[in-house]
This record gives sequence, C-alpha cells and structure tokens, in this order.
Amino acid sequence: MIRTSGLRKGSATVALVALMFLFCAGIVSLKLAVERIPRKKIPGASIIYIPSGKYLKFATFGYSSLIADLVYIWAIQYYTTYTIVDRFQNLEHIFSIIAELDPRYTDPYEIGALIAVTEAKDLGLAYKIMDLGLAKNPDQWIFPFEAGHFAQRAGDFETARKYYEKTKNIPGAPDIARRLYAAAGFNVSDLKESWETWLEVYNTAADERTKKIAGKHLYQVKSAADINLLKEAVRRFRERYRRLPAGLDELVGFGIVSALPRDLDGKDYIYNAKTGEITPPSIWWKR
Amino acid sequence: MTMVLEVDNLAKAFTPGFIPKKREILKGISFSVAAGEIFGYLGPNGAGKTTTLKCILGLIFPDRGKIEIFGHPHLSMKGREQLGYLPENPYFYDYLTGAEFLDFYARLFGLKKRDKEDKIAGLLRLVGMEKACDLQLRKFSRGMLQRIGLAQALINDPTLLFLDEPLGGLDPLGRKELRDIIVRLKQEGKTIFLCSHILQDIEMICDRVAIIVGGRVISQGSLRDLISEKVLYTEITLSGIDPALLADLGEPVSTHDDRILLKVFQEDNIGNLMALVHEKKGKIHSLIPRTETLEDIFVEMVKQG
Amino acid sequence: MKIKVIALNTFKEAIRDRILYLLFFFAAVALVFSRVLAVLTVGDRVKIIKDVGLASISLFGVLMAIMIGTGLVYKEIDKKTIYTLLSKPIQRWQFLLGKFFGLVLTLFIMTLAMSLIFLVIVLLHTGRLESRMLLAILFIFIELILITAVAILFSCFSTPILSSIFSLSFYLIGHLSWGLETLIQKTRPGTSRIVLRGLSAVLPDLENFNFKTEIVHGLAIDPRFYLYSAVYGLVYTLFILTLAVLIFKKRDFV
Repeated sequence: MIRTSGLRKGSATVALVALMFLFCAGIVSLKLAVERIPRKKIPGASIIYIPSGKYLKFATFGYSSLIADLVYIWAIQYYTTYTIVDRFQNLEHIFSIIAELDPRYTDPYEIGALIAVTEAKDLGLAYKIMDLGLAKNPDQWIFPFEAGHFAQRAGDFETARKYYEKTKNIPGAPDIARRLYAAAGFNVSDLKESWETWLEVYNTAADERTKKIAGKHLYQVKSAADINLLKEAVRRFRERYRRLPAGLDELVGFGIVSALPRDLDGKDYIYNAKTGEITPPSIWWKR
Repeated sequence: MTMVLEVDNLAKAFTPGFIPKKREILKGISFSVAAGEIFGYLGPNGAGKTTTLKCILGLIFPDRGKIEIFGHPHLSMKGREQLGYLPENPYFYDYLTGAEFLDFYARLFGLKKRDKEDKIAGLLRLVGMEKACDLQLRKFSRGMLQRIGLAQALINDPTLLFLDEPLGGLDPLGRKELRDIIVRLKQEGKTIFLCSHILQDIEMICDRVAIIVGGRVISQGSLRDLISEKVLYTEITLSGIDPALLADLGEPVSTHDDRILLKVFQEDNIGNLMALVHEKKGKIHSLIPRTETLEDIFVEMVKQG
Repeated sequence: MKIKVIALNTFKEAIRDRILYLLFFFAAVALVFSRVLAVLTVGDRVKIIKDVGLASISLFGVLMAIMIGTGLVYKEIDKKTIYTLLSKPIQRWQFLLGKFFGLVLTLFIMTLAMSLIFLVIVLLHTGRLESRMLLAILFIFIELILITAVAILFSCFSTPILSSIFSLSFYLIGHLSWGLETLIQKTRPGTSRIVLRGLSAVLPDLENFNFKTEIVHGLAIDPRFYLYSAVYGLVYTLFILTLAVLIFKKRDFV
C-alpha cells in the first residue's frame, strides 16, 4: 500500500518537472522566433518622444550626468543599427538632449557631429553640434578644429577658414591650427593633407583624448584613401574581364594590384561581391 | 505611613481615529499606595487598568489629575529613578541575548562596570535564568520573557515596582515561583503595584486592593476589610438518602451515582441534615463551608457597575 | 551618555537588518556592472564608471536611510519595546537622538564600504587613486544624514510604508529645485511669484549636496560653496530633528 502511494507521489513530481522543462523550452523557442522578426525600432526608442532635454533634466533628480551617459550609450547602439533606415531624423534632438543633461560631457558633441557628417550627410547639423559644444565648453579647441576639418573636406574653404580662426584663438590649440588657417585660403583639400594634419595632431597631442581623436581621423583618412584605390582597381578589373571580382584577392591574382592594402589596425577591407562595394572593417568613429 | 504613589482625580479621554467624538477611558481615578505594601489593581477588561498604569509611567499624558511618586511630580527624573516596570506580554529586542539585554538597561541607568556585572548575575539567578544568559531573546518562551522582564524591572534596585499581569501565561510552578519572589521583594522593603486578572493570586499576596470598573475606582481598601469572614453557604456531599427528603433542607447541585452534592444556606439546616443522615443510616462524605472570596465580590461589583 | 547607549543599541539592531545587505549587494553589483557598461561607450570610459559609481552610492544610500529609518521608531512603538525604555529615567529627546546617531553610524559604515569598492574599481581602470571622489561622497553622506532625520521624523507618527513614501517625496522634491527656479523665472511678478519664492526658500534644496557632475568633470568649485552646503545640511537636519522631538514629546503610547 505504502509503496504504491509513494510511487504516485514520485510520478507527480516527475510530471511537474517534465512540465517545467516543456515550458522552459517553449519560452526559449518563442524568444528565438521573436528575435528573427525584423523590428523597426530598438528598445528604448521612446527617448525620441521626449519633448526637450530641459524638461528631462527635472526628471533626473540629481542624476543628470548618469542619465546623459545612458542616453549616449543608447544613441551609439541606435545609430549603428543599420536596419533602422530613418534613424537620422532624430539625430539633432537626441544629441541636444544629451547636451542639456550634461553640457560639459564632450564625447557626445564630437560623435554626434561625426555621425552627422559621415552617415547622415548633414553638414549643417555637424556645424550646429560643434557650435553648441564650443558654446558650452569654450576651452575645447577640438570642436572648431574638427568643424574646420569637415568644412575643408567638403570644399567649403570660407567656413573652414572661420573655424580655424576660432581654433587658433583658444589657448592650448596646436600650432597647426595657425597654418591651416593660412592654408584655407587656398584650394587645398586632399587626403594627403588631411593625413599629415592629423598625424601632426596625433604626435603633438597633449593628452590621451586628443590622441584618440586624431587616431580616429587618421583611420578614416587611410581607409578613404585605401577604398579609393581598391574601387579604382575593381573598376579596372571589370573593364578588363567584364565581371566583378569574386574577392579582393582576385585583384592581386590577376595582377591589377601588387598587394592588398590593410586598414590602420592591419585588418582586411570588406568586399561585397554582388554589388562591388568596399567597406572598412571598423566604424572609424567607434574605435 | 508614607505614600509612595498618590493618584488624584486622574482623567483621560481618547479620540479614536478621525472622528471627533471623545471616548472617556478614565473618569476621575484616585487612590494611594503606601510604602512597603503589595497593592493590587483589579478590574475587568477595558476598565482602564493599563491606561492608569501608562499615565503613571509617563507613556500617556492625562487630561486632568495629579500623580506623585515619592512626593515628586510623576514625570520628573527624580521620581523615575526609583521605578521598575514589567509590561503585560513583554516583548524585547529579540536579537539581543539575555545578558546583553540586561546589560543595555544597566548602562542606561549608568551603572558602573563591576556593579553591573554582579547585578546582572544576581538578577539572572533570582529569576532562574542563568542558563539562558547567552540565548537570544527571540528564542525565549513566554514564561522566560516574563522572568527576564522582571529582571529588567529590578535592574536599578527600584523601591517601587509596577507589574502588569506578571503571572499571565506561566505554568503553576512558574506562578508559585514568581509569587514567592514578589513576597520576598516586599520583605526587602519594596512596594509593589500589581495589575492582575488572576484573583486567587491577588488574594494570596496583596495587602490592599483597588477595583476599577468603567474608568472609576469603585472600591478601595485592605483585602481583609473587603472580604468578610461570613459563611455564604455550606457544601455537603452525602449518599444513601432519598432526594425527596432533602428538598427543603438544601439546594441540590449535582448527583453522581448515589452521591448528592447539596448547598445548605441556613445554619440550622446543617444540624437537621446531619440528624437525618444519621437516622437513615446514610453517609456524609464532605462538609465544606464556603466564605466570600475576592471573586464573588469582584463579580458582584462589576455587575453593579 | 544615555544617547550613546541607545545609539550603540540601534547600531547593533540596524547592522543586523537584512535589507541593508540586500541593498549593499545591489550597490556592489551596480559598481561592478559599471565596468561592463563602460565598454559600450565611445570615448571616455572612466566617466561612465565614475557616474554609475557615485549614483549607486547615492541611490542605495538613500534607500538604506529610508528603509531602515522609517522603521526605527515605529517598530519600537508597534512592538511595545518602547514601554520599558521610556518608563526609565530617560528623556524622550535622548531616545530619539540615540536612534538618529545609531542609524547615522550604520550608514557611515555602509557608505565607507561602498566607497572602498568604488575607489578600487576606479583604481583598476585608471591606475590612479582618485581621492577627489571622496569629496563628492562626503556630500552624498551629508545628504544621507538629512534624509535619515526626515525618515525618523515620519517614523514617529506614521507606518513604515507611508513614512517611506513621505521620505521619498521629500528626496524627490529636494531635487526639483531647478524646476522651481525655472518656474519662478517664467511666472510674472505678483503673488504667485512671491509664494513660489517663499516655497523655494523653505523647501529643501538637496541639489546643494550634489557635486557629482562637477567632480567627475574635474571642475573647480568655490570652497565657500562647500562650506555653505555643509552648514546648510547641518542646520536643516537640526530643524528636522527639533520638529521630530516636538512631535514625539507629547505623544500618547496607547
């Protein structure tokens, strides 16, 4: 008698445990299925709907710089999620929120401007962000310096000149700002010049941060130069063989180029055989 | 005779919750306690015993009336140095051990280190809690809490001791031990104010009592004066007699087999009954005269009040 | 002397409270998590670690102060342990101050422990011992002292849940002082402006103790401001404690 009731109790436990595993498996497979469904937004995107950074500040109860950090980190993930095609709509809004919460946090100004210039292709916004950064942090020469750099790359030498003038007037600015101010008068804008500019900044950098920024720009310039080279090589290949190369090593194999250039970190460039597009392996401003 | 505690026309009303209606708990209490006596304070539930006690101890502020302890106003520090208090259903910091607990109170009174240790050891011995001195209070039984509570009340060697239902929840052995301790404390010259429901114990140890009903003291005086020695009735247990014959001699209470228990009210009838039993060759098993007890008086007074 | 006895006893009681260790555990987790979070940022990583660290010490410190403080007096009344205590020759204000100092001592130990973990984490990341952080933590602690007084005040007459809500509201209102400033500037001159100005003067300005942002950015602060903040904290705390003593003095313990 006792043995059978014990058996019943035992089988009840086994049944419950089996049920639990079943539910567990259900949860896991559901989660995996949901993840495969493409989403328009990423979590936390409701930040976009906050009307203004000024009012968000009141809701932070003394933790505004922490919230600024968190919004910034979120923004970085957001702007590198390429599936969200309309993500640049709110670029100004989000970075102005961060600026309101912690005006002296310098990283977001730079990165915001860089995203604006290179990804959103909105030069005006980049200038705006750099101006804001300078207004809140008058001692940061790097803001007008980078703005001048953007203007120069875009061929707008008048604006570049204005920014370099601002830069050289800030105490602590590097010597090169003076020279660039002078040079902006001329139609000089090439990758070689950019490279040398940033290399000098890199070598004479007074602090770690400036060095890092210069390093980022150096990477960008090199990869732009390398990609130009590779694009030209692909074009010549296509001309000759009437098709796109299957991979970059074909360029070497067929004698178009003697060796493949590598990026500043020593990594290979990424080649899309279907479209012929070449992209750098790292997002240069994220390094 | 010096009065250690004098309460004069004490009144207190409460406003329960947000309703502005006042509820009078104490309606003018007056009594006094003399030095060296055990004073019993009795009353039914809700009469105001604990409220009176809390007024005396400064836990509640009365609306009217005067309270003096050793001739000082009851809230002055001078008066309070000589007090000891054991609350009803005591509850203490449960994370402290027995010894730590007493040590805490000793330090509150500013006892010097050496005196403190002797005192604590002595008190633990007195209440029979030596073995529990390293046990956390959370593990104490109700009786143990009662005992350590008494130890705490005695930490400053008070001359006036307030005990609220000290014998509640103790087993018969515990009650006897505690009663003995209280009597011994009286012999040491302390005055003891005792609130209790257990009338048998009050009867055994108190010198004077006050009875409070509905917020008023309806009776006050020495126990002996209160309880007359008058015999109320006599209880007789007998067997072998036809119940019909007993009808006008006494009131039957119960019948068990052949035995009958009778209440005989008139003294003459006792003699008549004995003669009857002797005549009919019956048997008397017991004969007990019942005098008035405190319980009788109490019940009577409460009914009247 | 009597205050010291109660204070030490309160400390013993508070330090055994499990809530304390739960909150401390979360604070430690947050501090370690800051390193993980820092990896996600582009640019200055130490800023993230410092911001999360100081915010954790502040937030969990406030939670500890409120959760333990609101129970301190209430528990004694509810469990009736206060009866034997107040019938002894001890003044009610001595009892209250003893409770206050006991909790302050507990919070001091906890803040010290959290600060140590924080400094070690910063040290591991930068190789430097950033003792300037301690200045920010000192003022966080002053704020905690004030919050403790508030929690004890409410504990004198309210249940722990209500007291916690009131104390938390005090904390939140105290940090909305910027909002009040903005509101005053936007209001036209008149009675409402005067009322708002009056409110702004009396309501606690807990932002006075908030030096987190400035110290993380390495900005200079006028030393007079530090002095002013410390004194403001002290005086406001005394104000709250006096209020508590007043309320507690005439209370009936039914």
